[in-house]
Amino acid sequence: MIETIFFEQEIVEHPTTQRIRRALPRASWIPIDRYQELFNKRHQNFKLQKKNPSLILAKKYDNFVLPVPSGFGMDSHKSFYFSHMYNCLYDCKYCFLQGMYSSANFVLFVNYEDFFTSISKKINEYNGKTLTFFSGYDCDSLAFDKLSGFADEALNFFSDFPNTELELRTKSIAISSLLQRKALSNCVVAFSLSPAEIAKSLDSKAPSISRRISAIKQLAAAGWKIGLRFDPLIYTSDWQKLYSSLFSEIMEGLDPSVLHSISYGPLRFPKKMYKKAAKLHPDHKLFAFPMEEANGVISYGTKIETQMHDFLKSELNNYTSENKIFQCIT
Amino acid sequence: MSEVNSGENNSELQFKFCWVIALRAEATPLIDAFNMKIVENKSLFPIYVNEETGHALVISGIGSIKAAAAATFLKNYLKINDYSAWINFGIAGFFKDPIGNVYQANKVVSKESGAAFFPGLRLSKLIPAATLFTVSKPENGYEEKALYDMEAAGFCEMAPYFSCNELTYVIKIVSDTPNASSSLITKRLVRGLIEKQLSKISDILAEIEKLVEEEKKRLSIPNEVLQFEKRFKFTETNKYKFREIYRKWKVNFPSKNLDISEFLNSKPKEIILKLEKEVLANAKDWNML
Repeated sequence: MIETIFFEQEIVEHPTTQRIRRALPRASWIPIDRYQELFNKRHQNFKLQKKNPSLILAKKYDNFVLPVPSGFGMDSHKSFYFSHMYNCLYDCKYCFLQGMYSSANFVLFVNYEDFFTSISKKINEYNGKTLTFFSGYDCDSLAFDKLSGFADEALNFFSDFPNTELELRTKSIAISSLLQRKALSNCVVAFSLSPAEIAKSLDSKAPSISRRISAIKQLAAAGWKIGLRFDPLIYTSDWQKLYSSLFSEIMEGLDPSVLHSISYGPLRFPKKMYKKAAKLHPDHKLFAFPMEEANGVISYGTKIETQMHDFLKSELNNYTSENKIFQCIT
Repeated sequence: MSEVNSGENNSELQFKFCWVIALRAEATPLIDAFNMKIVENKSLFPIYVNEETGHALVISGIGSIKAAAAATFLKNYLKINDYSAWINFGIAGFFKDPIGNVYQANKVVSKESGAAFFPGLRLSKLIPAATLFTVSKPENGYEEKALYDMEAAGFCEMAPYFSCNELTYVIKIVSDTPNASSSLITKRLVRGLIEKQLSKISDILAEIEKLVEEEKKRLSIPNEVLQFEKRFKFTETNKYKFREIYRKWKVNFPSKNLDISEFLNSKPKEIILKLEKEVLANAKDWNML
């Protein structure tokens, strides 16, 4: 439950702000000038703040749509991402957000309409080409949706552009806004997944794997296209067995034709980010493995990465065609 | 992790709560309640402590700059650890009655500079929150729906440097309102207002202490590490490497201890190498779970 909401005075009358105010009448509402005065302050403690994050309602002015980092999307399409929100309800140990921001507070940019205007411009600019827009790079696309109402507005917008793809990336089971409407053929609901034992150890505050799989099956049954994201791949004893079981659990009773794509990616951190994350979780085994460093990137190293890549590729081929399987290396 | 010492500065004193309070009248009820004794009376800022209960208190005098200076003085004088909580406590004006209520300031604004601060994690189960304006002269107009004091902004400017923003708290008891003039404030009134809230203050401290303990666990350097660093001459780079590999080694082998007698003839690099080898060997059948 969010107890404190900081809001930029400029967006106090915005319909999204008003809706959230109605939804959270008991919270403390505190006016601020710009979100950076709070969010970017030095000497914030991400870990302590994560215990009780505040919500910051802000207006975004620029950089609404950005090209995806190399290796993030499917190579076949020109891809962009947009972040209507910074930070996430969940607290995954490997998440890059904890190394990227000094604050664990949630920033929600309420001027969704300006995101859509920028996306429209991009679609016009690339007239005729298939574009993919990723949501959920700096946040979880659906985890906050009951409050933000973003997914519904995004789907309304993208329904007018059937040749343009939207990916909602999530670990959330807050899928009611999707189930209440007709499936959109150009929207992919992509779930981040790990074997249940690993997720239990690493994906704090996120729904269990069985609940995520149940959400996948509900969406698939309702006609939504599904993406499966195994990123990052976590190395542990019996990892082959764990991943193999996970795949069969997901695919049991799932029509493979609903799968839009499957991607996987190795666990990698920029060195600075690794140090920051390890400092936040010094006692966690994720940060006690003798990782390798190459070109400023911390990883399990080529040998383990190759083993995992080969296994995943071969195992996933049992469930879908090769052209739907991608390796992501960001 | 094994038994811990106080950290980088190797201070033997482990203070959990560092109070920065403007006036003696505001400090006395806490000094008495937590049985603190004076340790420094000759400098500009008197300091009181109770080492057993982990309280340290400095009396700053009135004003934002003095609050910042006193906090810095306390930090340096007692070599306060970076996991301690910093609390600016005292009386404040408020736009509405009654006097005696206690508030957490969740936004502190310097009326002079316009700078805004957002100290602490919200303690919503214990006390209500309010915005606070720090003014340079006593405020009698109460124009904003807020608290008014003369120190918090200066305190908030400095205290997060000593630990972090989430361990920085501004707690105020309402002493004057539009219907209860500040001219009526006496030492006796202040003492009475604060004493009535001591039970609440204890509850607040219990909550903050949980955060302090969590940070202490995360930031403290194990005694084993300190002993090795005392015995062997690590360069700064090797010190960093040693601490990092020790951390991994200890997570890998939680029940093992690092026995200094096994390394008496070793060089720092050899110690690091030995730990690296053990961690690497353990990774062959790595169980992350």
